Amino acid sequence: MTEAPRPPPPHPWRTHVRAGAILLALMIVVSGLAYPAFVTAIAQEIDPGAANGSLLTCPNGTVVGSADIAQNLSAGALGPSLFWARPSLTDYNTTLGAASPPGPSDPALLALLNETLAYLKNGTGNSSPTATLPFWWVAPSASSVDPDLTPSAVLVQIPRISNATNLSVPTLMNLVNAHITQPPLPYLGVPFVNVLELDIALLALQGTC
Amino acid sequence: MGFDPRTLWDVVALVGVVLAIAPWFGRYLGRIYMDRPLVGDTILTPIERGIYRLLGTSPRHSMRAREYMLAVLVVNGGLLGFLFLFFLWQALLPGDPTGAPGMRWDLAFHSASSLVTNTDFTHFTNESQLSLASLTVAWPAALFVSPATGLAVAAAMVRGFVRRDGTLGNFYVDLVRSVTRLLLPLSILFALVMVLLGVPETFTAYVIAHPLTGGTQTIYLGPVASYQSISLLGTNGGGFYSANMASPLANPSAVSNLFGVFVMMLIPFGAPFAFATMVRRHGEAWPYMITIVIVFSVALGLFIAYQAATNPFLSGVAGLGAQTNGYPVGQEVRFSLPESSLFQVTSVYSNVGANNLQIGSISPVAQLVLLFGMFTQATPGGEGTGFGMLLLFGVLAIFVGGLMVGRTPEYLGKKIGTGHVRWAALALLVHPAAILLPTAVAFLGGFVSLAGLSTGAGAHVFTSVLYEFTSESANNGSALSTAQFNDTTLFFNLSGAVVMLIGRFVPIWVMLKVGERFAGQEALPPGPGTLRTTSMTYSLYLTVFVVIVTALIFLPVMALGPLAQIVGGP
Repeated sequence: MTEAPRPPPPHPWRTHVRAGAILLALMIVVSGLAYPAFVTAIAQEIDPGAANGSLLTCPNGTVVGSADIAQNLSAGALGPSLFWARPSLTDYNTTLGAASPPGPSDPALLALLNETLAYLKNGTGNSSPTATLPFWWVAPSASSVDPDLTPSAVLVQIPRISNATNLSVPTLMNLVNAHITQPPLPYLGVPFVNVLELDIALLALQGTC
Repeated sequence: MGFDPRTLWDVVALVGVVLAIAPWFGRYLGRIYMDRPLVGDTILTPIERGIYRLLGTSPRHSMRAREYMLAVLVVNGGLLGFLFLFFLWQALLPGDPTGAPGMRWDLAFHSASSLVTNTDFTHFTNESQLSLASLTVAWPAALFVSPATGLAVAAAMVRGFVRRDGTLGNFYVDLVRSVTRLLLPLSILFALVMVLLGVPETFTAYVIAHPLTGGTQTIYLGPVASYQSISLLGTNGGGFYSANMASPLANPSAVSNLFGVFVMMLIPFGAPFAFATMVRRHGEAWPYMITIVIVFSVALGLFIAYQAATNPFLSGVAGLGAQTNGYPVGQEVRFSLPESSLFQVTSVYSNVGANNLQIGSISPVAQLVLLFGMFTQATPGGEGTGFGMLLLFGVLAIFVGGLMVGRTPEYLGKKIGTGHVRWAALALLVHPAAILLPTAVAFLGGFVSLAGLSTGAGAHVFTSVLYEFTSESANNGSALSTAQFNDTTLFFNLSGAVVMLIGRFVPIWVMLKVGERFAGQEALPPGPGTLRTTSMTYSLYLTVFVVIVTALIFLPVMALGPLAQIVGGP
C-alpha cells in the first residue's frame, strides 16, 4: 500500500473573501444584465409579437389587452353583448397576482361556486333551476387571469349575445367555431377558445372595436 | 365523467424522451466535473482560466471538506447579504417603474434566504412588492449561483469515490464550470425556445391596456423567458409572475408546458449517469435511476387518478355541469389533466417548486403525493443536492443491507464505516427536525390557531403549515395555499428563513464530510464478500429502503394533516 499523497495547503481566508466577492460581482453582471440583454436582443428579432406580450389591438389601434391575460368582460354597458371569461378571484387586477381558491372540502368553496353560478345563469339568460353550466366556466382558475374557455362554455353564452347584438345564432356559432384552437397534435392539450380574441372579432363584425 | 386514457400519450412520450437522452446527457454532465477534454474547450477554457486568475485560484488547487465548505459559505453568504440589502433598499434605486416599497427586514431576510437556498418560496407578491431591478437583476444571480452550488457540492462528494488524497476539488472551478458549460448555454437556448412558444422577453416593464368594457389593465412584462428558463433549469422554481407557471404569459400553451417539464427534468434525471461517468462504472447509475423512475411513476399515477376523480363535496351544487378533463378549480383550461399533473409532480419531485395549478385546491391524496416527494427530496430531488441525498440513502442502504446478508459494507471499493453512517443519518434526521419542530411551535405558540384542528377544514390548515415548512426544509418552494393562514408574519418569515438555511447547508456539510471520508480511503479490489450494487435485486431493495425510511419518519405527521382530511371529510 502506498502512502496517500499529502493534500495541498488551503487558501488563506483572505483569498476566499476576495474570490467570493469577485465571483459574485461577475455573476450579478452576467446573469442579471448580460444574459437577459442577449436573449432579449435575439428574441425581439425572432418573434417580436410574443416577445412583447402578445398584445391585442382593435383595428383603430387601441391596445385592448394581451391574448394571455383575461379581463372583466361582463362589466359595463357592453358586458351583456360580449363573451365572458372565467371568473377571477382578483377581479382581473394583475397587480394583485394570483389568488388561491378555497380548498376542496372548504364550505367557502360551496358558497363561491353558488354565487358564481347565480351570476353566470343570469348572464346566459337562462336562470331555470335545472339548467347546468360547464364546470370550467364556474370554477376559479389557477392564475386568476386564465384567458381561455372550453368551447362548450362559450357556446352556452350565444343566446344572450344574440339577444343583445341582434346577430343571428348561426352567425355567432360560425364565429365561435372559427376561434376554437385545436391541439397541434391529437390530445396534446385540449381544444379551447381565447375569449378576448373572440370578443375583438365579435366587435369587429359589428364595426365597433 | 370518465378519464380518457388517450390524453396520456404525450406525457408518456415526454418521460420516454427524457429517459432516452438521460444517459447521453448525464455523460456530458459528469465530464464537466472531470479533468477531461470537453466540447467547447477551445472557446471556454481560456475564458475560465482568466476567471480563475482573477479569483486568485487554480484548478490544481484541490480543497478538503472544510475549505470547500468555507468557499460555499463565502459565496452563498455574500449573495445572501447582497440580496437582503437589495430587497431592503429596493425603493432607493431611481427610475423604478413599479414603485414597489422597500421590504420589511424580516421579509427581506426570508426572501434572500429563499433565493440563495434554491428554494424560491416567496412571501411577497411579485407584481406589487418587488421592484423591476429586484426581479430582473438581483434575483437571477441567485437563479444561477444556487443550482451551480448544488451541482458543485454533489460533484465534490462523488469525487470521494475516485480519489484517495482526501481532497474534493476546487469549489470555484466547479461553480464556474457549472455556469459556463451547463447553466448559461442551456438557459439561453431554452429561453429562445420559450419565446418561440409565446413567452415575453423585453425590457418594457408593463403596458397599460384599455379593456373592452372600460377602465385600464396593467400587463406586466419584462425578460420573462430568460428568467423562467434558468428558474426551471436550475430547479429554482421562482416565478416571474406570482402565478408562476400557471400564468398564461409565462406558460402560454400545452406545448410550452411540456417544454417546461423537459427543462426541469433534464439535469435531475441525468444526475445518476453523471455519477456513473465520474466513478467510471456505467452500471452504477441504474439502481438510482430505477428508484427514481418507480417512485416518480407511482406518484404521477396517483396524482392523475385523484385529479380525475370528482370532488364528492360538490355533489349537491345545483346547476354545476359534469367534470371534464379533471377537477377545474384552481386549474388552467389550456392544459389537459395529465399535462398539468406531470408538470406539478415533476416540479415538486425535482424540488423546483414551480406550479401550474393551485396546490391548495387539489385533493388531499394529491397533496399527500406532493408532500411525500418533499419528504424524500431525492427522487430525483433538486440540482445536485437531490442526487447527493439519494447517494446518502444508498450508503445507508448498503450498510444496512450488508449487515443483513452478512456482506462487507463497501461501495465502489470503499469501506462504509460507522463514521459515514453517522453523518448520513444526520442528513436524514435534520430534515424531519426542521419540519416538525417549527410546525409544532407554530401551533403551540399560538402563531396559528389550534381551534378546529379535529375538523376537515382544521386538518387542511394543519396540512398547509406542514406543507410550508416541508417545502422550506426541502428547498422546494411550492406553497399549498395562501388562503389557509397568514404566512407573512414575523414568526413565519424568521422561522422559514432559518429552516431553509438549515435544510440547505447542513446536508451540504454532510455530503462534503462523507465525500472527504471516502476520499481519504484506499480503494479495495472487489472480493467474494462484496455486495453487488448493479443487480436488479439491489435496485428494488434501494427503492423499498427509500420509501420505508421516509414513511417511518413522517407517517405520524401525515396522519395529523392529509390523512385526517382523507378519512375525516368536511
